[in-house]
Amino acid sequence: MRQVLRRPAIALSACVLAFALAVALAAPWLPLPDPTAMAASPYEPPGAQHLLGTDNFGRDILSRLVWGTRLALMVAIVSSLISSLLGIVLGSLSGYFGGWVDGIASRTFDVFLLIPTFFLVLLIVALFGSGIQYTMLAIALTTWPRSARIMRSQVLTLKSRVYVQAALSAGASHSRVLARHIVPNGLAPIVTDGTILMGLAILTEAGLSFLGLGDQNATSWGRMIFEGQRHLRLAPWMSIFPGLALLILVAALNLLGDGLNQALNPQLQRQSLRAKRHEPVDRVHAPQAAVPILDVRDLRMEYRLEAATIRAVDGVSFSLSAGGSLGIVGESGCGKSSMGAALLQVMAPNAAITGGDVAFAGRPMLADGRPVRIDGVEAIRAIRWTRLSTIFQSAINALNPVMNVQQQLIEAYLLHRPEAGRAAALARIGDLFDVIGIPRRRMASYPHELSGGMRQRVMIALSLLHEPELVIADEPTTALDVLIQDQILGEIDALRRRLGLALILITHDMGIVAESCERVAVMYAGEIVELAPTERIFERPGHPYTQALIASLPTVSGPRRVLSALPGEPFVPAGDIVGCRFAPRCRMAADICRSTVPPRVKTGEGHEVLCHFAEAAR
Amino acid sequence: MRLRRYVLLRVLQFVPVTFVVIVLNFLLIHLAPGDISLLLAGENADPAYLALVREKFGLDKPFLEQLWRYLIQIGSGDLGLSFRSRQPVLDEILEKVPATLLLVGTSLTLSVAIGTWIGTWIARRPGSTLDSAVSFAAVALFSVPVFWFGLMLILLFTVEIPILPAMGMTSLDGPRSGPGYILDIARHMVLPVAALMTVSVGQYVRLARTSVADVLGEHFITTVRAIGFPERTVLHHYALRNALLPVVTVLGLQLGLVLTGAVLTETVFSWPGLGRMIYEAILARDTPVIMGAFIVMSLTVALASLITDLVYAALDPRVAL
Repeated sequence: MRQVLRRPAIALSACVLAFALAVALAAPWLPLPDPTAMAASPYEPPGAQHLLGTDNFGRDILSRLVWGTRLALMVAIVSSLISSLLGIVLGSLSGYFGGWVDGIASRTFDVFLLIPTFFLVLLIVALFGSGIQYTMLAIALTTWPRSARIMRSQVLTLKSRVYVQAALSAGASHSRVLARHIVPNGLAPIVTDGTILMGLAILTEAGLSFLGLGDQNATSWGRMIFEGQRHLRLAPWMSIFPGLALLILVAALNLLGDGLNQALNPQLQRQSLRAKRHEPVDRVHAPQAAVPILDVRDLRMEYRLEAATIRAVDGVSFSLSAGGSLGIVGESGCGKSSMGAALLQVMAPNAAITGGDVAFAGRPMLADGRPVRIDGVEAIRAIRWTRLSTIFQSAINALNPVMNVQQQLIEAYLLHRPEAGRAAALARIGDLFDVIGIPRRRMASYPHELSGGMRQRVMIALSLLHEPELVIADEPTTALDVLIQDQILGEIDALRRRLGLALILITHDMGIVAESCERVAVMYAGEIVELAPTERIFERPGHPYTQALIASLPTVSGPRRVLSALPGEPFVPAGDIVGCRFAPRCRMAADICRSTVPPRVKTGEGHEVLCHFAEAAR
Repeated sequence: MRLRRYVLLRVLQFVPVTFVVIVLNFLLIHLAPGDISLLLAGENADPAYLALVREKFGLDKPFLEQLWRYLIQIGSGDLGLSFRSRQPVLDEILEKVPATLLLVGTSLTLSVAIGTWIGTWIARRPGSTLDSAVSFAAVALFSVPVFWFGLMLILLFTVEIPILPAMGMTSLDGPRSGPGYILDIARHMVLPVAALMTVSVGQYVRLARTSVADVLGEHFITTVRAIGFPERTVLHHYALRNALLPVVTVLGLQLGLVLTGAVLTETVFSWPGLGRMIYEAILARDTPVIMGAFIVMSLTVALASLITDLVYAALDPRVAL
């Protein structure tokens, strides 16, 4: 609650509403003239006697404004209350019982939602006469489907919850379950929408009064503007002030609803979290010969979250020679995908590279955590997709859903080869599809029309479009079944050898790296804890974490053994870190592990381990 | 094939809406106090016409037969005669459509264009001060009572600084054809269009902002960035195209509010359209015209929703699976 009130928009509108409510309740006791008394002289401008002036009958405008608040709030509260009650009852019945009840009910909601409120209100008032009660009823009658729809979807999600099922199996009746367990838990969005509904009700009543159809006996802001309209030139204050009052009250309601909606909806909040990023640094390009295709030194990247800053990549160094292949293995959340994103310099808005150097074929891409610019252009731009490309995890999300795959590939091709033309692009894509094994007739399909395996193949074709020198494959087969997984990994491996490209394969599966990578880096909590040639790491794993990962692999050929799963939760690299990050889960952990950061120990040719006991394990 | 089925299904859904609107109208007439024939024919109708109306609506017949006759009657486009002009209501309404269409069409087009442009612009930096300020202004904007805002525009641009006309669609002594005529109408349109835009422009700003920010957070945007598309192309070609889909759907849902705004705006500016006609019908207690307007407005909104759904289906290949 306190958190919610801390948002300025909510606090401000809550104050306005509290003030309006206080004024409305206190109206009879305030030292104001009778709002209907035609006591003063007409058309008196705002002044000491009458703060907001008088109208054409000599009535005090401030007093009428205060009494108008009563009417506005009554209309708002009564009509939105009736509307929400109707909506809650019908919406929860429809969602709870489902089936044909729901079918009919939700069709009814849809139909009623299409009826424009104001015109129905006009008709009702024209037929029944202009009583305030008809106005409120008519507003409720046309707006209830809003709350009904919200309630229905709330109930649909709530009714499968464990506590609801538990209550039902304990023998509680439907009505009791609905009233006790479901409706109270689903009310929050109804309340939010209710505030917006209140604003709508006030504006509807005001509009009606402005057309001269309001309650003749009530003091309404809309009616005041209606009367002021004819004297706009002579006494503009007659219309200015009630309009301002309307604007302020309705805006307060809308802002409150909007603010509550954002506070209740964490997803909307997360959007606004942004990490501060470093400015680019300018460099002159000096070509070098015979260097690794990728050289990464002490790369660091952080995510800014509400509660903390997570150091997802925390000092990672490795290098990869042209045509080589490196597997990066670790549990989900260990920072392996973040590292891939940092290498490509495409990160979520709340992520930022905070340190490290990256060089691609000798060209600096990142210097001391800052993107490098050569001749005013960011260096990464010069290599994106033409020399460095990537295969993303789930192709269904990584491809544009509303564009067919052929078009997406054509645009990516023409971006880097604008002179080639559409025909050349199509020819290249056709060839690639042949290589990857996608029938050419599927070229014009949309992503959702393809199978998971096909989509992933399209993603691979996309990554190979410009014959890059390095491909970063981020869990390229995670979303697929085992058979397709093997097929696609085999294809990637074959392509790599044939085209001579270098590959970084990011995965959680030790088994996958064993088949397709020359070297393996094991990541844990943002760090590379072990780096070694693949054969060696399987023969002599140096880090207890690596050993656990290998032990969890099932083998078909070797001796039968119990598969061991690693107990405990992964370490979250945030705040001050003391000792070894893996210590809490490590079977070998000793006192030194909990107090001192482990050293990086070289245990053999190209083999390094981040562990106090690396030598011992050897 | 699937698309054709979707279109057919969606068009069929238009039927229950029409049915509900007409039945609602019928029930309201029967629930209203007073003689039904007087409501339908007018309070000072001559006895012969009154008898004709009784006969036509079968007012001495059982309730359900009356409903059936009413459905047939309205369904065939016969909305009765206006009290005042003795003209068929439908003709009266159709005569006023162009003026309202001009007003509503212009302000909606401008709202969508300007709102989307501003929304897209601030979506690039969600959470910034600018974003908060614009979002705040957008909420305030759709809280403005449109009729009051119209009056304030008149006060400012016609009374204080007399540069724009505030009444009607054309000048009394203005040209009746050629570019001068168009210019005259355009001048008359400025204030009402500006007033009516307040109803919707704020909504589009917010919608475009949320929608673009959502799309910018999707994985495929990361893909196009990794491919190396410049940020401008990412925003305008990829993000905006996908983000516009929800804007399209809201266009239909918004129309009810915009038409409401049009009635009030036309009243303020004496714009010779449907809104003005409804206002005058209310003053004269011309019930058939008010009922006709309710039916026509409801069906227009339903039709708009149908059209936007179909446009959406055409734009988004994922629909209709």
